[in-house]
Amino acid sequence: MPPLWGDVQTDKHGDRMLRSISVAYGIYLLLPIALLFVGSLGNTWTNSLLPDGFTARWYAELLQDTSFRKAFTTSLVVAGAACFINALLAVPLAYTLYHAAGRGGSLAAKVVSAMPIAVPTITLGFGYIIVFNTDTAPWLGTLPLLIAAHAVHTLPYLTNTLLTDLRHLRLERLEDAAATLGASASQRFLGIVVPNLRQSLLSGLVMVAAISIGEFGLSNLLTGFQNRTYPVVLLQAFYGATGFACAATVILLLLACASAFTASTIVKKS
Amino acid sequence: MSLALHEVSYTYPGTAHGVKAITIAVEVGELVAVIGPSGSGKSTLLKLVSGLTTGHSGSITLNGHDLSGLQVHQRNMGMVFQSYALFPHLTVAENVAYGLRLRKVGKSARLARAQELLTLVGLDGYGASNVAKLSGGQQQRVALARALAIDPQALLLDEPLSALDASIRGQLRDQIKLIQRRFGATTLLVTHDQEEALTMADRVAVMKDGALLQFDTPEGIYAAPNSVAVAEFVGLSSIFPATVCGDDMIDIGFCRLHTPTHGRSHGAQVSALMRPEHFEIDPDPACTNRLAGAVTLTRYLGSMFRYDFELPGAPRALLVESRQMAREAVRIPPEHIRLLDH
Repeated sequence: MPPLWGDVQTDKHGDRMLRSISVAYGIYLLLPIALLFVGSLGNTWTNSLLPDGFTARWYAELLQDTSFRKAFTTSLVVAGAACFINALLAVPLAYTLYHAAGRGGSLAAKVVSAMPIAVPTITLGFGYIIVFNTDTAPWLGTLPLLIAAHAVHTLPYLTNTLLTDLRHLRLERLEDAAATLGASASQRFLGIVVPNLRQSLLSGLVMVAAISIGEFGLSNLLTGFQNRTYPVVLLQAFYGATGFACAATVILLLLACASAFTASTIVKKS
Repeated sequence: MSLALHEVSYTYPGTAHGVKAITIAVEVGELVAVIGPSGSGKSTLLKLVSGLTTGHSGSITLNGHDLSGLQVHQRNMGMVFQSYALFPHLTVAENVAYGLRLRKVGKSARLARAQELLTLVGLDGYGASNVAKLSGGQQQRVALARALAIDPQALLLDEPLSALDASIRGQLRDQIKLIQRRFGATTLLVTHDQEEALTMADRVAVMKDGALLQFDTPEGIYAAPNSVAVAEFVGLSSIFPATVCGDDMIDIGFCRLHTPTHGRSHGAQVSALMRPEHFEIDPDPACTNRLAGAVTLTRYLGSMFRYDFELPGAPRALLVESRQMAREAVRIPPEHIRLLDH
């Protein structure tokens, strides 16, 4: 029988290595974000490791910049509308895909699941440009088209979240029970399915909002000058003062963090 | 309300599985248990009766009315599921009152009814509780109260005790039977547990491979099984292939036994069934059907022993139950050997 202390030594060595990798990865991930914070509060920042001076004026300027304020509002409107459309579409879509599993529906469910990975936003964007830049459908650059594009882009994420929950909860058992008690198909859907999916619907919608607010590729191709989203305007900030660009990015980051935190809190509660 | 199934057949699309020409009648207030091994079609039968599965041939009638045209939610049958299937977003009382809410019963009336039923199933004071906080036995009692709340025309129980610990299964079994009697509910119980079926049911239907093998009282099924399959599934037994070798005499390969052959011809192939409680221990050496051997494996059951009794030349040991263990021989009285033709 080998001595126990040998195993303990190996475990300690492994633990140390894992901790080192975690710390290195954490620094790699967090350092740019930390520098953004530092940069947003620095007076000037050119050709040096850290900025010079301390100021809050970049945030004040950002607050007064009408194009940023308008872009921020546009982003919230687009995200809110995408959430609304997805809330209406995703639950029946996920429900149909779940019940169609085994009748060809499993393939459809896989397609929906793989869409965000398989179809890059730039592909979707070019498709929209080709279809909606014609005399028949001259809607390129309009807000409704941008909302529709965001809704289409984020729908699979919400559908996937709901499908996972449907599989986990095995709602067909509850539906069968409700049916034997006298619930019609619509009563089962509204009275049993929707209430039991509320947590995943809510967390999924927060995720949709986060994705929509941070989305750049699709928005950059589809927005008109009047309805640019926050990330699109943010890109232009990097051609100006570094501190201003950092402050604008921090705002976007805080918004994304708040969304992610809300989503994870909801998931934990559920 | 009586429930009648006549020549009911169903095959799952794309498979050969299903049920074949099942005819069962459940009288008013009667509890009929359908038992059989996994894949025997018993759950399919229950789904066809409830309407959760449709597309059968033959007829299912409730008090003379054909249910074929009615969807599941129109049949007014209370069903209790193996997995309880309580609604996690509703409280205990709301679960029980759910069917009444669908029937537009006022809130106070339906909650009063829910309270009444919760008291009946021994869950007084649990109305406001979250269903997830209840034990398995409590959840199944809520499910029973929920099924009874709608005053169902028939009660369908789908393996209601299978998910529960053995310690509470017996207690809940008695409670369900008492409540079923009190409500006079026409009940169809599906279970793979023969003890559950024999203790709860007025009559038992034994199924295998989608076919109904026997439909009789629990005593009839146990004492007079009509086939080896039924005998093997219901109760413990020793079964040996046998040949009729004389008037009231059979040959089971390693010995000959006296038993009434009921006019079977010489050379007829049968199976000889012997129940463990019918053996006599250490009989007079001169008596008929004396089988000398030795005890091999013993199980102490408290009030008796159950043991394997090995016989020279026998392909397998006899299963014997007695208050004291046999020392050198056992005897099976001729009238307790049951001959099965298939």
